Amino acid sequence: MVKKKIAKVLAFRYKLLAAILILLAGGLVLLPKYQKHEGIKPEELLSNVISPERYITTDQVAHKLINRDPSFILIDVRDEKSYANYSLPNAINIPLKKLLEEDSRSYLNQNQFDVILFSNDHFYADQAWILCNRLGFKNIRVLKGGINNWFKTIINPLKPSENMPAEAFDLYTTRKAASMYFGVVYPEQANVAGSETKIEAPKRVITVQKKKKKPAEGGC
Amino acid sequence: MGPLIPNGVIPIEWDSIIAILIGIVFGFVLEASGFSSSRKLAGVFYGYDFAVLKVFFTAAVVSLIGLYYMDYLGYLDITQLYVHPLYLWGAIIGGIIMGAGFVAGGFCPGTSLCAVAIGKIDAFVYVGGIMVGVFIFSELFPILEPIYDGYFYGNITLQDSLGINPYWAVFIFSIIAIVAFVISDIVRKKQKKIFY
Amino acid sequence: MKNDKKQKNRHVYWNPYFGGFIFGILILFTFYLTGRGLGASGAMKSSVVSIVETVAPTHAQNNAYYSKFIEKDKSPLDTWLVFEALGVLIGGFISGGLSGRIGWRIQHSPKITSKRRLAFALGGGVLFGLGAQIARGCTSGAALSGMAVLSTGGFITMLAIFGSAYAFAYFFRKNWI
Repeated sequence: MVKKKIAKVLAFRYKLLAAILILLAGGLVLLPKYQKHEGIKPEELLSNVISPERYITTDQVAHKLINRDPSFILIDVRDEKSYANYSLPNAINIPLKKLLEEDSRSYLNQNQFDVILFSNDHFYADQAWILCNRLGFKNIRVLKGGINNWFKTIINPLKPSENMPAEAFDLYTTRKAASMYFGVVYPEQANVAGSETKIEAPKRVITVQKKKKKPAEGGC
Repeated sequence: MGPLIPNGVIPIEWDSIIAILIGIVFGFVLEASGFSSSRKLAGVFYGYDFAVLKVFFTAAVVSLIGLYYMDYLGYLDITQLYVHPLYLWGAIIGGIIMGAGFVAGGFCPGTSLCAVAIGKIDAFVYVGGIMVGVFIFSELFPILEPIYDGYFYGNITLQDSLGINPYWAVFIFSIIAIVAFVISDIVRKKQKKIFY
Repeated sequence: MKNDKKQKNRHVYWNPYFGGFIFGILILFTFYLTGRGLGASGAMKSSVVSIVETVAPTHAQNNAYYSKFIEKDKSPLDTWLVFEALGVLIGGFISGGLSGRIGWRIQHSPKITSKRRLAFALGGGVLFGLGAQIARGCTSGAALSGMAVLSTGGFITMLAIFGSAYAFAYFFRKNWI
């Protein structure tokens, strides 16, 4: 008698468990489907966009270049033609269209270097930046103002007028020195420097290690 | 987001420690479910004890449902998990040989290790047998290589090979499991009880 | 009957559904941590490789199968699965110890002798070792962990193992019933 009762209780328990199991499995089928985001969350992306950290000024880049800072790579996102025409020293050309190809990814998706994107202004570089950020790539920044600004500030800095504060003059001197580093000849010293002004920034070979991603391997 | 070690959330140095901890739970569960007894294991083939089938299917269903829920909630990326590759004839021929070995020896590798842990001498012999088997395989490898490496279809899932929505596959699999449990209980009632 | 039950107390195991549930959670957790499933035969393969490597290093280097698992400056035993197998031994020992199942014995049907049981255990082991290498995994590595991610290979291996075991069961019935 008792045994039968126990059997009944047990049977009920198993039926309950089976029902829960079916409910859970059915829940998977019925759950609303959604498109999976590849990469970071939208909120995170938004906060990255707002952050001023994403821009780097031309002065900072010039400083890094002159000091031969090894920790960054410059990436030119314009097309090949403009790249062949003129680009920043040691820049790598990855046109916006090819940004998501496998070869480009090894440059963009790595933890070894900081990546600085630039184009003629910062419009295209911004697009590239958003794409990269969306995919969760780290340490990517945009050159503020792009190559146009580079010319305006570094290559051909505006001489401050007499009534400007002292900092402007300081800035001008550093920029002038930088521009001389990048090969601009100023009239007042052209006769001094002579032919030596055409010093090219030394070419740097950039090797990018593939980001270590250990694939899960076999069980047995 | 998981899996934690391949994504570098937990440093790789912890891998071995985690392996031992997982192994301890694995061994404990196997032993406590009675998988250290070869007669209990073999019961599933003669209808007097269906513990193997119940544990096996429950584990598969629970982990399947759990994995897909974790994937859905974003804790785990199911595409990053290791999917056992399909070498069609290797799987079939190997499976047939393993099945014969299973019913002859009464253990599979994991359960034999458990039985070794509690001092079953037949399990020691069985583990020795497995090593001999591996040795024979390696020596015959040039002959067996076409089966071992051939008929490769990639690391595919049912989703790829049947074109079925994985959620439906999980659901159908759960139903099959429950039906199997019910049938196994019916069969067991008809069988003569065996004490072991 | 009641007395008999008390004597057999050490054969009282977990409810299979409970065991299966814990087992499933463990597989889930393993996948969450390491991205791959459990395994067992891999540890035995590693031990065979390391034995052969110590006994006959040149032979191991020349054999196409062993050489896959031999790396310089790293013992073939230094793999995830070997550590996991060590854990299995510890875990099994703890569980067996808690319920008093530890002891040297040969378990077999009363109808057969111990010798016969050992002979069949050896034969079964050889077959299983051979099959596990051909199919790249055993019941835990290929079938169970494969099924947990809906791997086609895992399902086929599982069907093949259980299908053939049922097919051969008739020939070995004397050993078990």
